[in-house]
Amino acid sequence: MAIPARYLTERSVIFVMTILVSITVIFLIPRLTPGDPLGVVVQRLSEAGGLQGAEQLVEEYKRLFGLNNDLLTQYFSYIREVLRGNLGYSIVYFPTTVSDLILQALPWTIGLLATTTALSWIIGTLLGALAGWAGESRIQNIFASAALFLYVVPYYILAVMLVFLFAYTLRWLPASGGYTAGLVPEFTLDFAMDIVQHAILPASTIILSSLGWWFLSMRSMITTTKGEDFLLMAEAKGLPKGQILWRYAFRNAILPQITGLAISLSRIVAGALITEVIFAYPGIGSLTTQAITTLDYPLIQGTILLIIIAVATANFAIELIYPLIDPRIRYGGE
Amino acid sequence: MTLYNAPPRRLAAMWVSFSKGPLGNRNFAVGLAMFVVLVTTPLIGVLTSSPALLRVGNSLPALPPSTSHPLGTDVLGRDILAQLFGATLNSLKIGLIAATAGTAVGALVGFVSGYYGGIIDDILRVLTDVFLSIPSLMFLILISALVRTVTVETMALVIAIFAWAWPARQIRAQALSLKEREFVYMAKLSGMGSLELIVRELMPHMLQWMIANFVNAFLSAILTESGLSILGLGPQVEMTLGMMLWWALNSAAMFRGLWWWWGAPVFVLIFSFFSLYLMHAGLDELINPKLRGR
Repeated sequence: MAIPARYLTERSVIFVMTILVSITVIFLIPRLTPGDPLGVVVQRLSEAGGLQGAEQLVEEYKRLFGLNNDLLTQYFSYIREVLRGNLGYSIVYFPTTVSDLILQALPWTIGLLATTTALSWIIGTLLGALAGWAGESRIQNIFASAALFLYVVPYYILAVMLVFLFAYTLRWLPASGGYTAGLVPEFTLDFAMDIVQHAILPASTIILSSLGWWFLSMRSMITTTKGEDFLLMAEAKGLPKGQILWRYAFRNAILPQITGLAISLSRIVAGALITEVIFAYPGIGSLTTQAITTLDYPLIQGTILLIIIAVATANFAIELIYPLIDPRIRYGGE
Repeated sequence: MTLYNAPPRRLAAMWVSFSKGPLGNRNFAVGLAMFVVLVTTPLIGVLTSSPALLRVGNSLPALPPSTSHPLGTDVLGRDILAQLFGATLNSLKIGLIAATAGTAVGALVGFVSGYYGGIIDDILRVLTDVFLSIPSLMFLILISALVRTVTVETMALVIAIFAWAWPARQIRAQALSLKEREFVYMAKLSGMGSLELIVRELMPHMLQWMIANFVNAFLSAILTESGLSILGLGPQVEMTLGMMLWWALNSAAMFRGLWWWWGAPVFVLIFSFFSLYLMHAGLDELINPKLRGR
């Protein structure tokens, strides 16, 4: 089970390039925009009396990133610090580092995102397979229209509609936050229930939003596969219907669903981050918006870099697994 | 060649092929009809409604829909319908600029990459793939956060930075398959230069692909704009559909029961997504006859 060398090289080049280009752009954008973001913010904050040790912060920054040096030297020290995992200090929460703030928010995002992406992929794929297998019928058409609606309507609009329905009109679920304000996080059943209750609406938003596409693409794949000779053969052999669907049709149709996951990952992550913001969920998305409102550039840069690297790595991993399950790529075809 | 330079006979012929092709497709026809409504209603609205309605404190705040304010007013006393007209036009403008720039650049990159092949292709393809796998929203957040005063036009151009990669990949694949066709060899033999060949021989065959890509880019530009705006990064002075929603959400319109305020932009956004989606699906069916009758 070897991954073909050409494929591997190409994917690796794209992976490394993505990360490198991202770091470069993140490094360049603040330096190309006129003005001195760091200075402006620090000055504003110390005038308001909200920042202790502004001078110290600026000095620390200049030392760490060599801001007195030329652009190229700065660039290399930036890459060096990033590779060391040093994303610098948050301006607003100084002396807390950006990495610490990210580490606090990360479990929320990973918990929400991983669960919902997996769930929606599985549910959508299974329902789509059943729908495609069942063929044209009224119920199937209703499902397909609903899936189309979910696919066309973006995350945040779905979020707004869910909040209106379940938090405002019915008052069944809380509209925002990760847990009830005032509660102290602890390992008790009550607190766990509280977290689950707060997670239901954001999770449903993400699941429903991406469900539509998985449903539609799996349905059309199964419909196409239904006409293939090997299915006819299986039927002629007298295999049970269920076995033909799951062992023959499903296994073939699932491959594009996996590539689809790789392609859509960045869209899903972006959608999930906006969803977090709408629900004030304490994850990376909310951390980023908060950094935007307070002009905390190191924090903005840090969260964005983290998201980009995470998405690129996940993409790369899916692409490496792919040839192992699809022999058509393994043997050189594309 | 623009539509206006075409001689009348040619125009008539184009109309016939248009009404038999795209217009004959139900999805496209419905989508287009919705789009016409989406463009003309706010155009007429902006021309006929008084600009004073947009001023803060012009009317009483938080009025529910009535005859004088068909969609009510917001907490600052601005008329929602009047806002909606301007916001829709601005969102459409962002879609138009970003999609035009993105499709044009994407088509150029795709053609050059597919047609010339070799090292140029390798470089452009890696670049395209890199742009495709970057979560573009993240960069857009960074850019908009730094360019503090965003106008509708800068917003559109910023979105266009990431709008070219998808068309580029699609058009490259098409150029690859087209360049081996016989008419291309004929053109080469008759001494046509590469650039002329791309423009005069390949482009016409790619036109429907480019239109489909354009519609798709239009949709994602509006989607991206509203996404950025909801994060508070939209144009500050002008109103867009995303910014309307942001104002409404940030003023807790939902929990004050001001459904007309957040409902209006939500409705128009959904309407425009469906309009563009149907047009794109219709064009897709025309390009890939296999999809027809699904």
